[in-house]
Amino acid sequence: MSETLAAPVEHGEPAGFWRTYVFSTDHKMIARQYMFIALFWAAVGGFFAYIIRWQLAHPDTDIPLLGRPIGPEEYNAFVTMHGTIMVFFVAMPLLLASFGNFLIPLMIGARDMAFPRLNMLSVWVLALASLILIGSFFVEGGAASAGWTGYPPLSAKPAYTGVEWGMDLWLLALALEFGSFLMGGINFLVTPMNMRTRGMGFFRMPLFVWMVMIASLIFLLSVGPLIAGAVMLLLDRNLGTSFFMAPGGGDPLLWQHLFWFFGHPEVYVILLPALGAMMEVMTTFSRKTIFGYRPIIIAVIVAGGLSFVVWAHHQFISGLDPRLATPFSVTTIIISVPFALIVFALLATLWRGSIRLATPMWFAVGGLAVFIFGGLTGIFNGSAAVDIYIHDTYFVVAHFHSTLFSSLFLGGFAAIYYWYPKMFGRMMNEALGQLHFWGTFLFFLAVFVPMHLVGVGGMMRRIANPGQYEFLAPLAGLNRMITMSTIFLLLSQFFFVFNFFWSMFRGRPAPENPWDGTTLEWTTLSPPPHGNWPGEVPRVYHPPYGYGLPGASEDWVPQHRPLPSGAAPRT
Amino acid sequence: MSTAAHAPAEAAESTPFPSAKLGMWWFLASEIMVFGGLIVTYLLFRMAGPGWTADIHHNSTLLGTINTLVLLTSSFTMVEVHRARGRDDERRFRLNLALTILLGFVFLGIKGVEYAAHIREGLVPAKSMFWAFYFGMTGLHGLHVAGGIVANACLYAAAARPGGFARYGHRAEMNGLYWHFVDVVWIFLFPLLYLG
Amino acid sequence: MKEEGAHGSPYLLIWIYLVVLALASVAASLVLPKAAAELTIYLLAVVKAILVALYFMHLKVERFFIHSLTLIPLALVLVLFLGLIPDIVVGR
Repeated sequence: MSETLAAPVEHGEPAGFWRTYVFSTDHKMIARQYMFIALFWAAVGGFFAYIIRWQLAHPDTDIPLLGRPIGPEEYNAFVTMHGTIMVFFVAMPLLLASFGNFLIPLMIGARDMAFPRLNMLSVWVLALASLILIGSFFVEGGAASAGWTGYPPLSAKPAYTGVEWGMDLWLLALALEFGSFLMGGINFLVTPMNMRTRGMGFFRMPLFVWMVMIASLIFLLSVGPLIAGAVMLLLDRNLGTSFFMAPGGGDPLLWQHLFWFFGHPEVYVILLPALGAMMEVMTTFSRKTIFGYRPIIIAVIVAGGLSFVVWAHHQFISGLDPRLATPFSVTTIIISVPFALIVFALLATLWRGSIRLATPMWFAVGGLAVFIFGGLTGIFNGSAAVDIYIHDTYFVVAHFHSTLFSSLFLGGFAAIYYWYPKMFGRMMNEALGQLHFWGTFLFFLAVFVPMHLVGVGGMMRRIANPGQYEFLAPLAGLNRMITMSTIFLLLSQFFFVFNFFWSMFRGRPAPENPWDGTTLEWTTLSPPPHGNWPGEVPRVYHPPYGYGLPGASEDWVPQHRPLPSGAAPRT
Repeated sequence: MSTAAHAPAEAAESTPFPSAKLGMWWFLASEIMVFGGLIVTYLLFRMAGPGWTADIHHNSTLLGTINTLVLLTSSFTMVEVHRARGRDDERRFRLNLALTILLGFVFLGIKGVEYAAHIREGLVPAKSMFWAFYFGMTGLHGLHVAGGIVANACLYAAAARPGGFARYGHRAEMNGLYWHFVDVVWIFLFPLLYLG
Repeated sequence: MKEEGAHGSPYLLIWIYLVVLALASVAASLVLPKAAAELTIYLLAVVKAILVALYFMHLKVERFFIHSLTLIPLALVLVLFLGLIPDIVVGR
């Protein structure tokens, strides 16, 4: 049995402000804390995207809202921080930590996580990491500017970037972030293993729980070598060692290997919870059991395993041993197979479903569509022969934004609109949600589809002023158009921001189960009380997604009700 | 309304592994990747350019051997803590835990002496690839030893309270798993950095 | 039974093995020729690690799932090692 450390709140005793909102061990409050951290950083990261795009479209001009131009060094810092923020301080806290924390105990019928105090520590460590990252902007030399990938020697020698403390603080912030997610990951793994309610066998858990578990496992196993690398980089920067510096006997390529050994599994760490959220939304709004529950789980596990042997496809033109190109191309192409399976399973779920279109579903389906598109361009990147031409161009930028944005933002918004009623007890405004969706979806396409052309046209990544290069002059018009679309994309987010905060106070009070879902989180109040269920924890009788079961007398059967006579579960 | 997540009346579906043990083993899995990454990197560099490990003879084999025996013994006393808990022997529990903490300090103390000697001789991390690895690997390991000492000290304090032994004594197993892991890392660092 | 102390402990024997193996490694490094010494000391290190893992960390009595939490990371470390050989070892 789990060892729950003493709860800070005794039964019946009201907790003060600090215990309730700040020092809480309740997984739901911790989830909200993660969400606010993530949304804060999303705003910052989005603003940086705007700055980057303005500079690319109108180089060396005053940037509106910032009030001044930026030079190449600052540009590098904005690019670095945009990537770092979006991956480590938005994607992971929102999808993995916030929704993972909120939903896992609810979906498996537990009253809280296995280690509530460790959970609280994890969000506090992330908060500390955030403060350190913010601080890195204000030290002399400014924030880290060696790319979110931090390649040495650029990152190892302060003289090359002019950044001193900023890079060390960046490393420290990342180290703390890793620590935070290692702690969180332990909760995400142990809780579903040991704290499921009666009747909840492993293959009766909602897919979202599986996705979070596998993502946590992938993170746990991949981050170690990068931590080792970060220690080495800190030593190179501060104690004059030469782990990554060739003159002293080191090897810059080593960092790349250590980084990407983590970096590639990391993109699946981000993707899986988003896919999981999309799966939950799609099955609910298709009124149809998800197609291929077990094959999906197996495919994700296979993809997770494969993710550890594809990493060097990020290094095809780095000076990598050419004999590694083919093996890593092969594994990279193979990894598209399990994901194709998942995509087909989702399409099959939608097929002939009784589709209900509400904002969460628009985002989920839109996210799937863009993800398919982004995944397809991945195949070009994964094949070394083609990659040699498109590596380090905007084709790659377009590719990973298509896959990351679709999962993180479109999938993330699907999750937010879907579970907001449960999290905050209010319904979001549907009209604003629609405006938000169409603005986001269409302007996203307007930004990133043309960007593939920019990349194929030869524009390199990480250059502050494309105007310096004559051969890029024909692309200037496209760049300006992309920037304009970016501005509209970001403006569309205000529909969401307004909706999010306004609904919290003025939204229609949410019922327990506004979407007619079958999983356990929909069997309690919105928001759930401390302890998640006011009475006994429900027990579970069959797998989830009991929509339209053949032979059933009812249209849909939640997990905590026995199957009506005559019905057979699908999974 | 119960906030205790393991109220027996709502018997959960569970694996046969206690949560705390599972949590610790998941954590150790991630730590294997950290030290594994470091050790692999060291091995790769060694295989690439033999000769820079000539620095090994600057390490005192004597001190390294003593430290190895110190840590091995502390692993023994640590598992004795766990065994004492299983036999409800509070006295041996406290004695062995105190010994483990003490031996941990001895280990760090000897490492400190070694570091000071190296630095006095100008053998600093920047001196060569070997010294970079030596300080990096033993430094990270030392931090883990320190963390283990802190964890054990917390356990000692918790168990010393009235009723503490009954309530918290079982945590010795978790502390032990961590401590043994730190010992295993040293079992590999010793030949890699001292014996060549 | 209560006053047996360390004498009755099954772990004492393991500790003795560990000490002997540690001292043997040192001896091997001093006495044997280089290649044989290297092979010996690392083999002995692996044996010592397995002893600690099986007996002190109780892996001997744990179910296979717990073992896999060690074996899978070790396999990944091996993957990392193999993947880096062409660049770091050969290509320098």
